[in-house]
Amino acid sequence: MTAVATPDELIIVIDDDQTMRRACEATLARAGYRVETYADGASGLQRIQQQHPALLIVDLKMPGMGGIEVINRVREIDPQIVIVVITGFATVGTAVEAMKSGAYDFIPKPFTAEELRAIVARAMERWHLSQEAARLRREKEAQARKFITFVSHQLQSPLAAVRQYLDVLTHLMGTEIPVQQRQWIERCRQKIAEMLEIIADWLTLSKVEGGQLATQRVSVSWSELLPSVLEGLGPAAEQKQIALENALPPDLPPVIGDPAALRMVLQNLVSNAIKYGRSGGYVRVSGSADAQSVRLAVSDDGIGIAPEHQAQVFEEFYRVKDGSTAGISGTGMGLPICKKIAAELGGRIELESAPGHGSTFTVVLPRGSAAPSG
Amino acid sequence: MAAKARILIIDDDDDYRASTRALLEAEGYEVTEVSSGRAGVELARQQKFDLLVVDIMMESPVEGYSVVQALRSAASDEGGDLPIVMVSSVREDPAARFPMAEEMPLITPDAYLTKPLDIPKFLACVKRMLGQ
Repeated sequence: MTAVATPDELIIVIDDDQTMRRACEATLARAGYRVETYADGASGLQRIQQQHPALLIVDLKMPGMGGIEVINRVREIDPQIVIVVITGFATVGTAVEAMKSGAYDFIPKPFTAEELRAIVARAMERWHLSQEAARLRREKEAQARKFITFVSHQLQSPLAAVRQYLDVLTHLMGTEIPVQQRQWIERCRQKIAEMLEIIADWLTLSKVEGGQLATQRVSVSWSELLPSVLEGLGPAAEQKQIALENALPPDLPPVIGDPAALRMVLQNLVSNAIKYGRSGGYVRVSGSADAQSVRLAVSDDGIGIAPEHQAQVFEEFYRVKDGSTAGISGTGMGLPICKKIAAELGGRIELESAPGHGSTFTVVLPRGSAAPSG
Repeated sequence: MAAKARILIIDDDDDYRASTRALLEAEGYEVTEVSSGRAGVELARQQKFDLLVVDIMMESPVEGYSVVQALRSAASDEGGDLPIVMVSSVREDPAARFPMAEEMPLITPDAYLTKPLDIPKFLACVKRMLGQ
């Protein structure tokens, strides 16, 4: 029978019965597989930790650690490992339990070499299929990312060119163009700016999802990021006469993360707070820490978010559409991006809000201890 | 009266070149434009320019940098210094593009801006690069 395993694919047999171990090893080795055998669950699991096998054949009834427990442990280590249980004559019930715990198949004693080979062949085929499925999924994700990157660049280029024409036109001829036509040009510029923002956000979201963003893990201090973010958003806040307040405690501990990604989170939250804030009101950034985490809160006293929308604002493309939000532009991707970045860094974003009473978005991240280098 | 400063634009995007050129000429600069890195390097060898504005992408992400490198080598061969402004349609942190900036002075531009240009920022940058 032709071997169907590659040199990397390992079969591990765990059985307290030495005769059984030798028989399995002989049969499978002769069939061309790479086999290792262990007499108990503990030593088998130790080996499995080091080298994930493609297939595990384990005896259900063993002294000490039984087959079911081994199965549960193996599933934790690597759910892709295919498991076949060896059952005794009268243990069909336990075989069913084993299947429910994640075993792929069972083989009742006594069995012939041919029966063993047949079951192993099926199990290895199963292994190959799941590996192939995982590979295809990764390929699909990579292709989707390439597509998004390609499309967004194809869209961004012409839009940027048009926007620049309009900008230069206004710059060079602004005073000669009649007021209304100048307004039309301004509307064009705004629309294009919105489209560029949507494309950029879409790209960012796809990168965060693909694990291509938020890749660095260094010590980051919110206090270092905040001043420049507030400075950048100064003009927007001024337009609505909103006071930007940096209320971060000076001794706020750092977090571990990617500086660019965290800056993006801060930028998004403060920008949102201004957009949905109240004219003449405030946007306050404060923080606190406990033994495990660092919390950064962005609060405004603007229109707030009704309870029925609160879960959905973190969903992609969702934007609250009612009378109070008319005229506020946005891509609907800012919050999903923030949420994903926070999750990627082991944290989360909390929301507290009531209509007419403003909102507070809090980023909770694990506290940074000694920063890993790089 | 000082001679007009000469600026060379290297970018394969026709529209971008057209609008940027109009902008710079209105400021009183003498502008030449080429659409490929190769043409740009050749031209820069033959004629003297006071400032280069180079697109980062062109045919490939690498071309922009190799153009910068070639231009700098050419300029330093002649004992000159050539301010280079790099422009990109890719929105990203310049530090991510040039993590080894200190070790690779040949390849780094003197300024890095994103498209579409922020006009006041761009003009101020050009003025600064030309030492005005």
